[in-house]
Amino acid sequence: MASANSPDATRHHVVSTDELESTDRVIAEIQGREIAVFDVDGEYYAVANYCVHQGGPACEGLLSGTVSMSDEMELTYDREDEIVACPWHGWEFDVKTGKHLARSNYALPTYDVVVEDGEIYVEL
Amino acid sequence: MAQASSVRSVSDLDTVVDSDVHLTERQSDIIPYIEEPFDEMLTRSKGEDYGYLSNLYPTPGFLTPVTTGKVQSDTVRSADDVRRGMEMLDTDRVVLTPTQNLYLSCVHHDDLAAALASAYNEYFLDTYVDPDDGLYGPIIVAPQKPHRAAEEIDDHADEDGIIAAFIPSGGVHPPLGDSQYDPIYEAAESAGLPVMMHNAAGTMMKNFPQQFNGLNRYLSAHVPSHAMQHMVNLASMITQGVPVKYPDLEFVIQEAGIGWIPYFAKRFDAEYSGKREDAPMLEQSPSEYLDDQFYFTSQPLEGSDDPAYVEHMIRLFGGGENLMFSSDYPHLDFDHSDELLGMLRGKFSDEEIANVYGETALSVYDF
Repeated sequence: MASANSPDATRHHVVSTDELESTDRVIAEIQGREIAVFDVDGEYYAVANYCVHQGGPACEGLLSGTVSMSDEMELTYDREDEIVACPWHGWEFDVKTGKHLARSNYALPTYDVVVEDGEIYVEL
Repeated sequence: MAQASSVRSVSDLDTVVDSDVHLTERQSDIIPYIEEPFDEMLTRSKGEDYGYLSNLYPTPGFLTPVTTGKVQSDTVRSADDVRRGMEMLDTDRVVLTPTQNLYLSCVHHDDLAAALASAYNEYFLDTYVDPDDGLYGPIIVAPQKPHRAAEEIDDHADEDGIIAAFIPSGGVHPPLGDSQYDPIYEAAESAGLPVMMHNAAGTMMKNFPQQFNGLNRYLSAHVPSHAMQHMVNLASMITQGVPVKYPDLEFVIQEAGIGWIPYFAKRFDAEYSGKREDAPMLEQSPSEYLDDQFYFTSQPLEGSDDPAYVEHMIRLFGGGENLMFSSDYPHLDFDHSDELLGMLRGKFSDEEIANVYGETALSVYDF
């Protein structure tokens, strides 16, 4: 798991890997911020649950894939369980990077995740 | 012209009026209120409806983010649902408008459309109106039957909480400057109620059927639909002299954002300069009628990533006097009440901000 491990960062326990496996996400409050942790095929990602658009609970929306266009110009569906859509206005974000799919100048803040002995921590 | 503003959030304002909060009413909610002969006709259906024959309102069949689950809209089918939305957006008064009945002007059977309008109004008065709690709204009318529409306005204008007359203006044909609609304007003017006009993206299937068929996507239909339908109706109304014939009547133009307003006004004036013979009733330029008798609701505010754009557009059409905040809650492109405020702070005076967020609405609607 990528971890910049800034010397000032504090680890905050969120959930165990076993528990997270039984659901698709966990949203925790850490230092006044709501942060969602997603499990994408055994990799863990932490993203702010506050939409950069109008402040909606972005990480509480549908977790799904998204529509793309193939080289043959046919509609395809991929990135299953990697895309979260803010329930207020449907803005789609990549949970791995926080980036907005439509306009790349928008992104949800992301946080470093550390896994130790089956427990998931978020650093900030 | 930066100005110090003491308004930091909507809670710092004396009054916040939200000029567009939608019910999510269903046909089945209003059918119990429908009058004869439709009460008999609509309550005895048995057997298979083939999946659509029970639907009296046409649907565009858009594939939307609501359809796909990417937007999860709140339900607004009770006064308590409204109050929850008001709490979320921190508003004091709301002007409640329909959703399904935005398609009223597309209902095929004209007498049925008029009966549905009456039924909606009874349902609305019965279920939502509560001035003590800030819940207000318009009487809706079916433009298919202008004389029935005028009676509907006469019948309900004096009821508590009724503050306007509402034309579901999307899909209307002919456009709203036609003299067949005069009874509606006359009734609203004599009742002292403003006329609200509100389209829906899918109503273009009726008045712009070829464009609707050719666009094939919700996005490409939704982008032009609201402003396009407003521009056609307003071009018709002003050219035909509706504001001249009804000088005490005011209009509230909803849900098309802001940038099209100065464009439309400037273009209209420029064109009128050389084509005055098409509008001999006018006594002043089109933009002056727009300034004097027309008000605009703010949502969906385009350009919120570009505050200078928003400031210029609002200044260009005199928004400090004729722009009214609206959220469009709970629809999929609603604006939070803080969104517009963030654009106005530091650029508009406290008085102008108070106007946009409530004072103008208090003077326009019959509260």
